[in-house]
Amino acid sequence: MKPKIAIVSASGCRACETTMLDIHYGVSALNRWAEIQFWPFVLGSSMADLERIDHLDVCFFSGAIATGSDRAMAEMLRKKCDRLVAVGACAAYGGMPGLKNLKKPATAEAADRGDLPEELALPEQENRVRALDGVDGIDRVDAVVPGCPAPVNLVWAAVSALVCGGEADARITYAAARLPEEMVRPILSGLGPPPGAVFAGEKAVCATCSRKKEEKRFKAVKRPYQAYESTGRCLLEQGLICQGIATREGCGGLCTGVGVPCRGCYGKPPATFDPGAKMVSAISSTFETEKPAEIQKIADDFVDMTGCFYRYTLPAQCMLMKG
Amino acid sequence: MTDYEPKIIAFLCNWCSYVAADAAGVSRFQQAANVRVIRVFCSGMVDPSYVLKAFSSGADAVLVAGCHPGDCHYISGNMKALRRSFLLANLLKEMGVDEGRFRLEWIAASESPRYAEVINEMSESVRQLGPMH
Repeated sequence: MKPKIAIVSASGCRACETTMLDIHYGVSALNRWAEIQFWPFVLGSSMADLERIDHLDVCFFSGAIATGSDRAMAEMLRKKCDRLVAVGACAAYGGMPGLKNLKKPATAEAADRGDLPEELALPEQENRVRALDGVDGIDRVDAVVPGCPAPVNLVWAAVSALVCGGEADARITYAAARLPEEMVRPILSGLGPPPGAVFAGEKAVCATCSRKKEEKRFKAVKRPYQAYESTGRCLLEQGLICQGIATREGCGGLCTGVGVPCRGCYGKPPATFDPGAKMVSAISSTFETEKPAEIQKIADDFVDMTGCFYRYTLPAQCMLMKG
Repeated sequence: MTDYEPKIIAFLCNWCSYVAADAAGVSRFQQAANVRVIRVFCSGMVDPSYVLKAFSSGADAVLVAGCHPGDCHYISGNMKALRRSFLLANLLKEMGVDEGRFRLEWIAASESPRYAEVINEMSESVRQLGPMH
């Protein structure tokens, strides 16, 4: 019998679901391998449809948990699914919607001022945006595909590993997907990925970045429009805030390869404790000057470090603000 | 609030500040008992993630203390600590950690009174600020 699958999006931009449609020839293969039972974006399925389904094999869940209905859907899917997969930075780490946690909800602020309108046309908001595994009713997430949006090759690797039992015709994608060998071996032998597998590399983006690294020296912070070299030197050395050093590898350095600093959409590599701390360490230990006043001046040029270093990971990987 | 005792994590460098802390005890200087000392080989090895981990595990304040500039046992380790401290302090401020909860101090091996003074001062100011969360 074909495995039954669900594909859903909570609060997010739905780019990860579009990635699902973007797996080229894989789309028809997916239909051969699986029975798609619930996919609001494409099939127009409703919550009532989900309630009628007793059991699902795999669910690809994207988007952060920001509203009451997001949470209800996530909890229901956890109960009905054998394997719940977080697809994309939002479901995996909270993503950009997670930056909402930096501010009090607008409704709470209005209530503080005492001018809360009587009827709000807003969906019921959670008090904090969470990643999928941060929800109380969800004890585990079986696999994670990071990225913003999750890239096609990694999504297809996850689909063929979890849905097709590692037997899809496009086995070659494993090589392209840059997965660690320890993960590829059990998948290809039909055992499936190890529990909690992250479909990405284990090192930092710098490991696969094509740029030339010399000795790092950070003189002043620059914005991408102020320094652009399509190829050549390491972007961090040029004074751009490139987060490759605090970000999990797996993309192959796509952005840095074309001169755009890494923004950290894969979350932190396993060896890093906190991406913000790593970035502070990486940037500031390369300041050229040793004079306190000058260091202070460079440090004060950085604005919104929290929003920058934890752009995709605030609810899940920021040690001071998670939970 | 009266029974609130702040927890301060102090990363002390093996060659200067730890010796000063030791000597402060031996010399029987009055010091607040709010400090949990972690001896490190150099203030330069205190990665910002140690500081964040201390805060996220319930510390109310973090002190990093090392040798005076120019006196580092490893030549320039303390300058590395100094360079990081500014950006780290800014990041902590953005995340809502009050100024004064994170401090970098130079305490030489011979400055045991200074160590006691820093500890007393810090525990008093953190007591005023109250618990972190």
